[in-house]
Amino acid sequence: MSARSLSFGALVALLLMWLAPPALAHKVVMSAWALGEEIEGEVGFSSGEMAAPGTEVDILGPDGERFGTVAVDDEGLFRFRPRQAVPHTFRANLGAGHLAETTLAVDELPPITAPASVSAEAAPSAAAPPSALTPEALQALIATAVQREIRPLRRELTRLRNSQRLHDILGGLGYIAGIFGLLFFVYARRR
Amino acid sequence: MHIVDGALSLPVLLGGTTLAISGLVVGTRALDLARIPAAGLLSAVFFVASLVHVPIGPSSLHLIMNGLAGLVLGWVAFPALFIGLMLQALLFGFGGLTVLGVNTLNIALPAVAVYYLCRRGVAGPQASLAALWAASAGALAIALTALMVAAELALSGEAFIPAAQLVLLSHVPVMVIEGFACAAAVTLIRRARPEVLGMTAAPSSEVATQAPQVAS
Repeated sequence: MSARSLSFGALVALLLMWLAPPALAHKVVMSAWALGEEIEGEVGFSSGEMAAPGTEVDILGPDGERFGTVAVDDEGLFRFRPRQAVPHTFRANLGAGHLAETTLAVDELPPITAPASVSAEAAPSAAAPPSALTPEALQALIATAVQREIRPLRRELTRLRNSQRLHDILGGLGYIAGIFGLLFFVYARRR
Repeated sequence: MHIVDGALSLPVLLGGTTLAISGLVVGTRALDLARIPAAGLLSAVFFVASLVHVPIGPSSLHLIMNGLAGLVLGWVAFPALFIGLMLQALLFGFGGLTVLGVNTLNIALPAVAVYYLCRRGVAGPQASLAALWAASAGALAIALTALMVAAELALSGEAFIPAAQLVLLSHVPVMVIEGFACAAAVTLIRRARPEVLGMTAAPSSEVATQAPQVAS
């Protein structure tokens, strides 16, 4: 191998790099947060693309016990109402070795209420006229609105955190050159 | 194509890692001074090829180029691809460090298989036939990798037939693209540097001296 073939290889590598899209739709990312009394979360690929509707998300407890399974809706979101104040682990299997997992600690969980009392309370508050908003209901509304507003931001942040930058690629190529340079040194000394 | 941390059961993980280490030992023994540049180059090509994405349905797949690495390197593909995979795991978060052994096996073992099956054909006297061998080598390496991924997922609990169907079918476009890429690369190597493929044929050296003039 001469300098010519090496430069040819570098050319091929550069060409491939140029063809590469800036973002990467390979890694599966998942995040979850408290919204009102529920946990809301999203599953998608690191390109910002969301998981297919109907993708199942398993909710597991700290010892691996299953709390339930929810399906992802059209926007790649899922919702779950926690019943116990324990860490919740969300796991989605998108097939072909694509696995995503995220855990919400106890202090990140939404306030937990007994399911029966919730439905009993929820009915009258929903029926009440908007002028009679209680401070709690207002708070919940604000929380929902804020969550909705920051959702694109969060998505963008996740995408950004998982996207490759040119310096990563160049750094990797530099490492490869260095490692094989080192091998040259070792093998040349051995002779 | 990279399996993620936590997708495989422990026995599969340990078995795959052990086999990958054996492959690495064999590969490092086969490595000599003259082959280091080729190994480094193909390691870099593999490292960068994974960033070329082919969008398919909800997911997207990337090129692997393990067929070409196998054709040129044989067993040396193990260390070369291992280094590429390790850097991908560290820098891009592809796969993970615990599954590094299994991923190395999935990508390097088909490369070695392709070396034994297609190397002779690729180094044959007729250029068009060699390109055909190279194309099938590129496609075959992907198919074998997909099958291995499906088998490992099956051993870890996922049903084999649907997993294999999903992985194999979704990789058909990648197989086609890699077939073309591999054929093009081999045609170029045969013209410019036939000794990379172990060819010592005299007539091709004439072409080798002419080719750079045409290129520049």
